[in-house]
Amino acid sequence: MSLVAEALVSQIAATEPWPENATLYQQLKGEQILLSDNAASLAVQLSDVDVSKTESDIPGVVFRPFCKCVICLSKWFVGQMQNICLHLGHSLSDGLDEVQKAEMKAYMELVNNMLLTAELYLQWCDEATVGEITHARYGSPYPWPLNHILAYQKQWEVKRKMKAIGWGNKTLDQVLEDVDQCCQALSQRLGTQPYFFNKQPTELDALVFGHLYTILTTQLTNDELSEKVKNYSNLLAFCRRIEQHFFEDRGKGSSSIRLS
Amino acid sequence: MAAPLELSCWGGGWGLPSIHSESLVVMAYAKFSGAPLKVNVIDNTWRGSRGDVPILTTEDNIVSQPAKILNFLRKQKYNADYELSAKQGADTLAYIALLEEKLLPAVLHTFWVESENYFSVTKPWFASRIPFPLSLILPGRMSKGALTRILLTRGQPPLYHLREVEAQIYRDAKECLNLLSNRLGTSQFFFGDTPSTLDAYVFGFLAPLYKVRFPKVQLQEHLKQLSNLCRFCDDILNSYFRLTLGDG
Repeated sequence: MSLVAEALVSQIAATEPWPENATLYQQLKGEQILLSDNAASLAVQLSDVDVSKTESDIPGVVFRPFCKCVICLSKWFVGQMQNICLHLGHSLSDGLDEVQKAEMKAYMELVNNMLLTAELYLQWCDEATVGEITHARYGSPYPWPLNHILAYQKQWEVKRKMKAIGWGNKTLDQVLEDVDQCCQALSQRLGTQPYFFNKQPTELDALVFGHLYTILTTQLTNDELSEKVKNYSNLLAFCRRIEQHFFEDRGKGSSSIRLS
Repeated sequence: MAAPLELSCWGGGWGLPSIHSESLVVMAYAKFSGAPLKVNVIDNTWRGSRGDVPILTTEDNIVSQPAKILNFLRKQKYNADYELSAKQGADTLAYIALLEEKLLPAVLHTFWVESENYFSVTKPWFASRIPFPLSLILPGRMSKGALTRILLTRGQPPLYHLREVEAQIYRDAKECLNLLSNRLGTSQFFFGDTPSTLDAYVFGFLAPLYKVRFPKVQLQEHLKQLSNLCRFCDDILNSYFRLTLGDG
């Protein structure tokens, strides 16, 4: 939307109280949702957003091939985590100083740059995963032949994007190398602290949790991605801690992390 | 004894050793780490492929892309990050990601997509360094590549049209510049008194934006208000590139 419209929307959103019936729409957990979308959805749930229910079908919308994680407030849909955080009106990172905020944003970009791109690569550019898991899952809510068409279209889009940012020629090993580097950086930044910035979780913690938890708990054709994450014990402890504090306490108890 | 290292890259102008960000990153890193690079500036007699520039050539290797070239130099013991702690190394990766996600789209737009800038500055400059008839085709292809990259990485729904994406990418770029300025503060370099990989990347991205004279300059104006970033670029140019400025 244009600059003016967006400014207006965030003005309005900041002053309205958070509505009672905010709904988080995401794809079906068992059958449809993909790695990167699950990560985004978890990150949102963690960010202190009060959602009364999570649904998987936006009523009245038939084709939503682009649908990732979308929140329906009383009047409008808000997509993507950054915009959702904007609508919260307050920020989890209010207590940070300028330099820390810069660091937080930088690390969030690192996660988006490396982890998210690696997840997309694995889902759409690794032939084994694509054939066995992604195609079926992505196309599951649609009738034939739409399921195939949409899946191929999405695959083509993702491959184009990979080529544009220079990941087109990377092999799976190189991608896993990059994931390892990213996890190493996150692990070093986290150190022995409970959260990335002191004692309070911030948007960065939400984002990192979303991605790492999803990588650790999603079954793919090979386990190399989750093995890379498991090498870093403080990251595992971090995920477990957040899962216990925020998800089990609220009674949303999803399956605990399989750490074998 | 190290094999001779040759770097092929785009040339300079406006006081810079190169106006191409990626080439500049590699050149700066080489100066910081003491790697003895022989720089071959591409002109229209150069016969290689221009798509992958900058390219590092040694006796047995050809390496392209700044990240890979820097890795290669590190393996050859030219390491500018020797004194960094593990956390600072992690911060480096994070800030480089920030630069690539938030600043690079706007830099690409300023150079290659904004039509006044492209037709009056960028295209003639590059075309003069590419032999005919490639000079008619290649700049156009580079421009299209830049546009595609911007739209594919930032054009998430509902922002599909370039005009809407433009506002967003310039906003992000200004925010990124502010963040860098806050992080740098009054220090000479980002981590202490010696320059490292992060300084090379920041210099590589900022210096062309700072120095090249464009007709449409909104991002340049914003950068010039951040005096510590301008001072950072000028310091590096004066300390490390003074001798080569005559080639501009």
